[in-house]
This record gives sequence, structure tokens and C-alpha cells, in this order.
Amino acid sequence: MSDFSIVEADGIVKEFPNMSSPVLDGVSIDVKPGEIVALMGPSGSGKSTLMNILGCLDGPTRGAYSLGGRDVSTLTARERAWVRLHYIGFVFQSFHLISDHTVLENVTLPLYYAGVDRREREARAMELIERVGLGHRLGHRPTQLSGGEKQRVAIARAVSGEPRLLLADEPTGALDTRTGNEVMELLLELHEARALTLIIVTHDPEVAEYCHRKICLRDGKVVSDGRGHAENA
Amino acid sequence: MRRTRSEVAGRAVRTAVRNPGRTLLTMLGLAIGVGAFLAMVSFGTGARSSVMEQFEILGTRVVYVRTNVGRADFPGSARPLTDADVEALLRDSLTIERVVPRVTEVQNVKSVFGRYRTRVSGTMPDFVHIREWPMSIGGMFDDTDVRQRAKVAVIGTTIARELFGQRDPVGQTITVGTNLPLRIIGVLVSKGEQTSGEDMDDIVLMPATTHQAFLGMPVGYHDLILQVRDLGLLETGMVDAASSMRRSHRLADIEADDFRMASPAQAAELARLVSTILAGLLVGIAAVSLLVGGIGVMNIQLVSVAERTQEIGIRAAIGASPNQIMAQFLAEAVVLSFTGSLAGVGLGWLTATLVARAMSWSGTLSLLTMLGAAAFGTSVGVAFGYLPAKRAAQLEPIDALRHE
Repeated sequence: MSDFSIVEADGIVKEFPNMSSPVLDGVSIDVKPGEIVALMGPSGSGKSTLMNILGCLDGPTRGAYSLGGRDVSTLTARERAWVRLHYIGFVFQSFHLISDHTVLENVTLPLYYAGVDRREREARAMELIERVGLGHRLGHRPTQLSGGEKQRVAIARAVSGEPRLLLADEPTGALDTRTGNEVMELLLELHEARALTLIIVTHDPEVAEYCHRKICLRDGKVVSDGRGHAENA
Repeated sequence: MRRTRSEVAGRAVRTAVRNPGRTLLTMLGLAIGVGAFLAMVSFGTGARSSVMEQFEILGTRVVYVRTNVGRADFPGSARPLTDADVEALLRDSLTIERVVPRVTEVQNVKSVFGRYRTRVSGTMPDFVHIREWPMSIGGMFDDTDVRQRAKVAVIGTTIARELFGQRDPVGQTITVGTNLPLRIIGVLVSKGEQTSGEDMDDIVLMPATTHQAFLGMPVGYHDLILQVRDLGLLETGMVDAASSMRRSHRLADIEADDFRMASPAQAAELARLVSTILAGLLVGIAAVSLLVGGIGVMNIQLVSVAERTQEIGIRAAIGASPNQIMAQFLAEAVVLSFTGSLAGVGLGWLTATLVARAMSWSGTLSLLTMLGAAAFGTSVGVAFGYLPAKRAAQLEPIDALRHE
């Protein structure tokens, strides 16, 4: 394994003005390129807040965070947007597709914001949509899709900008077991094909089984960080 | 960059099309604003030019000196207006270019075909020049006719119609009063009715000398029509004329003028001032309705931002920059207010055209005015769309994402 860390968080503290104790209280984690990490813990343990900070949706109150070797803990809102656009993909529990956009429009969105021209971004998006098995659904709206299909579209969208880090927040939480497993298989396939680093927030042990490594949070602190499987990237 | 911009616009158009009810409501506000604005501008200019036309009929560089002889409201004894006054005015003042005396009486006039009661004036050939009144057939009598006291007349179209119907009146004879036969040598172009209802074409002109010789002139001339050399010399001309008249009438300093002076141009100036103020007021009111339309855009866009908070969060999470999010909502405001303004231009044009037709005003809305109104309406919409767009751009991504 290389010495280079894609995610390097050191002593992250996150406080909110109306709360007495910090939500994150000195979290340090280190993720190597190509790792699949499960971020686990009971509700209120701070795992969503950590994911927001790792995903550059929010900044830490204190502590250092570097992503792909660059310090991103003190960026402006605009700079964080740029980092999200070029380095990070998100998959959410409730899919978060834009409801009045078609499947194709949803998947092209990151490329649109990156300024890729229409012809190219549609070609790239269509290839991805084929890849997730929804080539026949290009012009459909999210309301016309099943939950599993929606999550596949969301995953296609998350990787269409070719991010290096994919953050998934309970990606199977709204799906039945079989569909959930299919979604996990898809994530692993993409991980394989695109050398993605995957951080999955979950409290489902079955999901965690897919991961190389489990990090458990409790009350804003890392309580365990261990490798479950032998296989490494 | 251009491609991106047209795409932003395209997406805004699609959003507008996908919410037709909201889009129409927003557009309606601005359309009414812009329409009202254009209609008011057109009413203002139409009414003003109509007022101005009325005054131009009376001549633009013209001052009337009217006699006070025989007027019950003049206390002293007034001297009549005479040829001596005409000479004095022309001699004394450099600002006065022409002076035309006129005596006017109401008389019965008849032809072999009919009879009519009308105003019969004795005057000078220059009358038609001062009043800027061309002939439609024939010509005006000349100085020779004046010297010879020729029994000739020039008539207005009303007289021509009443006494001759469709026949050519030139060369025919009319009898004024009981026994003054006049040969018609010309017909004046129709000037129509004035706002006061006075029919300008109800007129018979003959040489002043002919009038004096055959009908008499018991109170002198009724008025002297003065023309100043330039519209800018109107005030000076009136002062010059007054002092010249006072000298000619040998009035002592303590005596009041025994004549009256009036100028259509002065009245026109006043009327123009009044109508300009009125037009300004109308436009001001219309501007308020435009403002209300703009507030409508802001209102709808604020609702739109609130409704689409989660969508904004998703876009932000994907990596849309605050500027890109702002551009999206601004583009929607542009699309809404531009189409609304265009509809308003149509509405305003229609109203203006219908009203102009009903009031028989000439074309009053220039292309430039309409383009200006469309641009103004659009910028009002965009200005009011700025705040909602700014609000959208400033949303915190995580808060927006959690918003249900």
C-alpha cells in the first residue's frame, strides 16, 4: 500500500453554536487510494457530520483535513464547490435526484457544471447509464423509476464527473435487501473499474461486510478502526 | 462561454415551460406593467400632439390684436382698429413680419342652389399666408383685387358644400346679404373642427376694401392678425405691438390698452406644459404598475427558491458554485421578465392603437419606445430577481439538502 493518503483528517473538531458538546471531538482518519471504508456508529455518533466534512460540504471548526494531498479545511464556499465538483461524488440514502430532470439530465449535471460541452457530456453520461443497466430509461423522470433504479441513476451521476472519492450515505437504507445488494455490487464494480476510493456511511453490518475497513464512531470519537477483510487495493 | 450562457438560458426556459401556471402569473404582472406604461406614454404623447395640432390650425407665429370697440366689458371708449394701426405696426416693429386686418360679420349667403348663414370676413391676401392655409381649388384674391374692390370671394369647404353640393364652386356667384354678388375664385383646404366645436371651414373671405365699400365697417376692423418673424420673437413681438398700438392710438400713460392681445402660440405653450405634466404623471403611475410587476417577479422567485431548496442543495453537493446557482435563478428571472415584457409590449401597442383610432390620433408609439419599454421591463424583473437568486446562492449546501 502506498504512503500517499487520499483522505487525511487530523484532530477534526466540529462544534455547532447551539450545542453544548462538540459533534466531532478530535477525529483522525487516514484513507489510502482505492480503499473501501465503512463509517459506522449509532445515530448521533457524528458520522453524518464527518461525512459532510470529508465531502467538503462543510468545514471543520478545528483540525486539519487534506484531500488528495491538499489542505481543504479552510476553503471558501466557492472553493469547496470546486473541490466537490472535481474530486468528490455523493450517493444519498434518499437518492436526491432532481425530479423535473430526466435520467440523462441528472447524470450530465456534474459535467454541465464542469463546463463540458453538451455533445461530450451526453455521450459520457449515456455510456454510464448503459453501464448501470438503465439504457432504456434515458428520457424517464425519477418518479417513473423504482427505488433501485433511482439509486443506480444517482450512482451514475456521482461518478460521471470522474471523482476520486465517492461518499455514500446509507446507500441501501431505502432499498430492500436484494436491491440493496445489487447497488452494493454496482458500487464495487465501479470501484474496481475506476480506482475509486469509497467511504460508505452505514449502520447495516451486511453493507459493512463489503468493505475493507470499518471505522466506528461514538459520541464524536473514533472508537475502532480495523480491517475486516484481507483483500487490499 | 457563449455556449454555456445559451445553455443556462435554455434551462431557464425549460423550467419556465414546466411550471406554466406560475410562469403565466409572473409574466402577467410584468405584462400589465409594461403594457400600462406603453399605453400611458402613448396617451400622453397622443393627447399632446392633438392639442398642438389644434393650436397650429390657428397659426404658430401669430398674435391677435382685437378691438374693444362695442364691447360691453370695456369701460372707456376704445378707438377702432384702422389701416393707420396696420401701417404703424409694420413701421414701428422689426419683429413683426406681416399684419393682416380683418372685419368679420355674420351674414346670410346664398347661391342659386341654397342659402347659409356664415361668417363673412373682409381681409388681405396675406391672410392665407399668416394662417398657413393653402387653397384646394383656385387661388386667393390679390393686391389688385384689393385696390379695385373686386367683387370676388374665397370660401371654406363647408360653404362650398352647403351652397354648391358636389359642383365646382369656382366661377360661380354667391350673394352676401341682400345685394352683394361675389364671384368665387378659390376654395380653402379643409381644416375641420376645432376641439371647441368651431367649424374652421365655415368661412367666406373677400378683400377688406370690398367689404368696406359695399357692407360698411362701422366699428373699424375686428382684429389685426400679426405674424412675428420667428417663434422665439413672440414675446418681444407682443411687447413691440402693444407699444406701437398705444402710440398709434395716442394713449396716455395712465390709460389702459383699448385693444386686447392674444397669441395661440402662448396658449399652446401653456397647453403643452400642462399636457407634458399630465403625460409625466401618467407615466409615473404606469411606472408604479411596472414596479408592482417587478415585485411580482421577486415574490414568485422567492417562492421558487423556497420550494426548490433541496434541489439547490443537490446542485451544490454535486459541485455547482454559488455563482452558477445564482446564474440559474437570474436566468429564470430574465426569461420570465423578458417574455412578460414582450407580452406587455403587445398589450400596450394594442391598447395604444385602439385608443389612438378611437380618438383619431396619429401613430404615437415608436419602435424605439416599445423596445425601450421591453428593455426597461426586463431590467426591472431582473433587478427584482436578484435578491431571490442571491438568497439561493447563499444557502448552505447541507442545510439545503436536509430541507424537505
